[in-house]
Amino acid sequence: MKSKRSLLEPEKTPSKRSSVAPATPNPSETRKKRRNAKKRSYYKKLAYDGGVFEVGDDVYVKRRDDAESDEDDPEAEECRICFEIGSSIMIECDDCLGGFHLRCLKPPLRKVPEGDWICEFCKARKLGKKVKLPRPSDGKKLRRTAREKLLSSDLWAARIESLWKEPDGTYWLKCRWYVIPEETTAGRQPHNLRRELYLTNHLSDIEMESVLRHCYVMNPREFAEANNEGDDVFYCEYEYDVRWHSFKRLAEVADTDNDEEAGNDEDWKYSNDSDCDSEDDSDFDDDTVGKFSCHDTPTHELAANSRRGRIFGLHKIGLKKIPEHVRLHKPTDLERAKSMLLLTALPKTLPCRTKEMEEITLFIKGAICEDHCLGRCLYIHGVPGTGKTMTVLTVLKNLRTEVDAGKMRPYCFVEVNGLKLSSPENIYRVIYEALSGHRVGWKKALNILNELFSEGTKIGKEENRPCVLLIDELDLLLTRNQSVLYNIFDWPTKPDSKLIVIGIANTMDLPEKFLPRISSRMGIQRLCFGPYNYQQLQEIIESRLKGIDAFEEQAIEFASRKVAAMSGDARRALEICRRAAEAADYRLKQMEKSSKSTLRQSLPQGKHLVGMNDIEAAVHDVFQAPHIQVMKTSSRLSKIMLAAMVHELYRSGLCEVTFEKLATTIRSLCSSNRELQPGWDDLLKVGCKLGECRIILSEEGAKHRLQRMQLNFPSDDVAFALKDCPEIPWLSKYL
Amino acid sequence: MASEKALDCLRRRLCDSSFVYSAFKSTPAGNYSKLKFLISNTITEACNNSVLLLGPRGCGKGAVVDMILEELKDEFPEIISVVRLNGLLHSDDNFAVKGKQRLLYSLLDAMQTLTSQSVVIGISCRLNILGDKKFKEILDVLSSVDNTISNICRFLYHAISWMHFESGSLTLDGFKNALSCMQRQPMLDKLQGASVLEFYILVCMNRLGSREQNSFNFNSIMKEYKAIQDAYKTSDNYSWSVCLRAFEHLIERELISFLDNRMRSLSIEYRPVRLLLSSQELHQGLKSNSFCPVSNINY
Repeated sequence: MKSKRSLLEPEKTPSKRSSVAPATPNPSETRKKRRNAKKRSYYKKLAYDGGVFEVGDDVYVKRRDDAESDEDDPEAEECRICFEIGSSIMIECDDCLGGFHLRCLKPPLRKVPEGDWICEFCKARKLGKKVKLPRPSDGKKLRRTAREKLLSSDLWAARIESLWKEPDGTYWLKCRWYVIPEETTAGRQPHNLRRELYLTNHLSDIEMESVLRHCYVMNPREFAEANNEGDDVFYCEYEYDVRWHSFKRLAEVADTDNDEEAGNDEDWKYSNDSDCDSEDDSDFDDDTVGKFSCHDTPTHELAANSRRGRIFGLHKIGLKKIPEHVRLHKPTDLERAKSMLLLTALPKTLPCRTKEMEEITLFIKGAICEDHCLGRCLYIHGVPGTGKTMTVLTVLKNLRTEVDAGKMRPYCFVEVNGLKLSSPENIYRVIYEALSGHRVGWKKALNILNELFSEGTKIGKEENRPCVLLIDELDLLLTRNQSVLYNIFDWPTKPDSKLIVIGIANTMDLPEKFLPRISSRMGIQRLCFGPYNYQQLQEIIESRLKGIDAFEEQAIEFASRKVAAMSGDARRALEICRRAAEAADYRLKQMEKSSKSTLRQSLPQGKHLVGMNDIEAAVHDVFQAPHIQVMKTSSRLSKIMLAAMVHELYRSGLCEVTFEKLATTIRSLCSSNRELQPGWDDLLKVGCKLGECRIILSEEGAKHRLQRMQLNFPSDDVAFALKDCPEIPWLSKYL
Repeated sequence: MASEKALDCLRRRLCDSSFVYSAFKSTPAGNYSKLKFLISNTITEACNNSVLLLGPRGCGKGAVVDMILEELKDEFPEIISVVRLNGLLHSDDNFAVKGKQRLLYSLLDAMQTLTSQSVVIGISCRLNILGDKKFKEILDVLSSVDNTISNICRFLYHAISWMHFESGSLTLDGFKNALSCMQRQPMLDKLQGASVLEFYILVCMNRLGSREQNSFNFNSIMKEYKAIQDAYKTSDNYSWSVCLRAFEHLIERELISFLDNRMRSLSIEYRPVRLLLSSQELHQGLKSNSFCPVSNINY
């Protein structure tokens, strides 16, 4: 926040804040430092000025020109009545957070009461009386604790992300700031707790000098369990996104805050704070892994059924640290290619979608840039793997830099994925939670959103910003009476809504499935993402593999052509290439193993490349039909049964056959080919086995002879699989 | 004593999946080593991956994964944590197809982020879900009905139970007995203890069915029963209420069933029923109960 705020909105908070920002190394200094960044030594734990600081700890951070000096920092809180610290038990008012000795109260309390307790001053204030707080005796200054200073924004809180020593001997830390509710755009809201803080996604480098001491920011569960931890305990449930001004519950944020650190995409950064988070990535890799492991939630939260319908915490799967020795060996070209082809490795640029990007940019700018923001809707459709979501997110990233440069009005951005909602109605809850950081039931959320968008009531203290709402997998919001979609597309038509809706789905004709009143509200603006053709796929793959010599030229073209012919899905193309690289790697490693055992000869260079054969095998892996393989390896009687079903199908022309009829056919086939007569129950068992594999579809077994059965695959497939069966050659007669 | 020890050892081996499926380990081109390479690579290179194993029940999909995970746990101690989900356990009626789809989507979507490192191994015996990677059967056909390894193990387990203790040898009879244990005929077993009157009723239903009479109820069966009594002049003439009791008994044993669940309010004798046995099975059942006078009747 602090220093950030000054960068984001220079017109609102002039130099006051920036001048007091904790001494951040100035850009030129940093640049110099980055050159010899190797000399920095990083620490996990650091003893500094009498305290031990560890990565992941929360600390108070001083403002440099703070009026109150350092020594005026009482660790213990003084009583509001007698102004002594004393060792006897104190009680905290749940309203003003002031501390009181039990004995100073009137009447004095024997023990700490259960439940909430509010002091007499607050009680009186609530009743509308004028309250005169006791003043300290003359010559004694009213001292404020660090907590009070923090909550009145005279002090800051931050979380330590990493610690290091500069070559010149000074100690620095990278910190992630906390903000108090007053510092968010929504302002303090009624539901905010007195001790509530928001974690931001704003990172800065500050000197250890400016760290005051520890404080303790807890998640809701820890906070509920905490008692007697002292005055420096705070509550944090949400992360506040300082760019989009939206809230995310902390369990859900880890994936977003990491993509910028790892992606290291220059335009994502703020123009001036280049020192903020564009460090050498290699230095930071290990720290990021460690950072998340240190506040891992206990595993019971992940137990699958305890929170049905809500899926979160998945980002924490497998967050254990990778040991050094595994990372030490230099990756071969094939291994590097494999990691580049991962779907997780986000590319720096997005090739082949410039036209669509321009169109989306124009759409958003057209909606926002005019003084009065008009509500608008855009529908984006296209088959999976054509980069729809990624393009929109890239556009928003780019627009962000324009906002930072002051060329565009600030707006907030909310992203919802239809498949991650437990029911369509929950979208109201998610939107409201993202806008306000407050969790309510969906009906209440709907009411509030209705007021917000149609009547223009304010959610916070400031005027509402325009809001871009991105709904992925829009088709899943299609309820029977379509009320959810109606509401969402109705809001932008209201004059004061300032809402821009971007819907993404796969089907082209989704608007035609809507009721007329919805599709008319949705407008006509549509954008189609066509499947990639082979040149585009080739370009995408090559852009990822730039500088890595692992693939033969034709191999990439072959893979692109194959995928373009089938689906044009870029994910598929990348996966096929990765699979091929895996196969080549496997082959190579096997070869190395065998050559080590026999002769120590160097392998020929050409073998390292991924060739056409590997791609061919990978394509076969991905697009092959497993059912044919299963039919080929199934048991003797299953084969006979399948053949009999095909035979029966040709004879009767009906696709369904009752079990009784099928059994008679099988028995006659068997007797005419001198095969062992199968028992009736054996046949039933075989039918069950085939039904389990879904090669045939059958009714429940209780119907016995009357159960109807049907082939689940075309009869040609069965004929193809069983035609040249070496064990039962007579089968081909009936196919 | 020695034979008992041998039996003990054999049983233990047959029940130990890692022993039974250890044959998979030896082949370098097999799925075992490929899958192991894939998973260990995923771990060392810190990336995400997903594999789908397909194959019929009992062909060793889960066992292979277990073996690989055990080995990898030794190779990379403290790094791997295994989370086991089971589609049967982690879902309920409300959580049908859409819920499962959502869970899968979130699981696979989460892997597209950088913060996590995981391998998702899906196992299914259904072939029409995705189609990604195949699992091959390795063993030859032993039984023509069910050629999966677990089935063969079960068979061998039965067979060694018939081991001859004095000589300590496995006899052919033992294997034959085991085979008959494996090939149970539940429908014929159900017919085993049926009474004469019950056989009469079944035969009547079969006769009605063979005359293409599709829908019949207890009353029409009784008419047929009367006709048989008149034609063959048997001594097995039972009263209406006794027949109804036998009829109800047949329904309980699921040898016959109601045609549908409608008309529940109707009393039993009017509800349409159908025969679940085929005529061959009925014939076989009558043959094994040769004392039964019904077998003389032409059905």
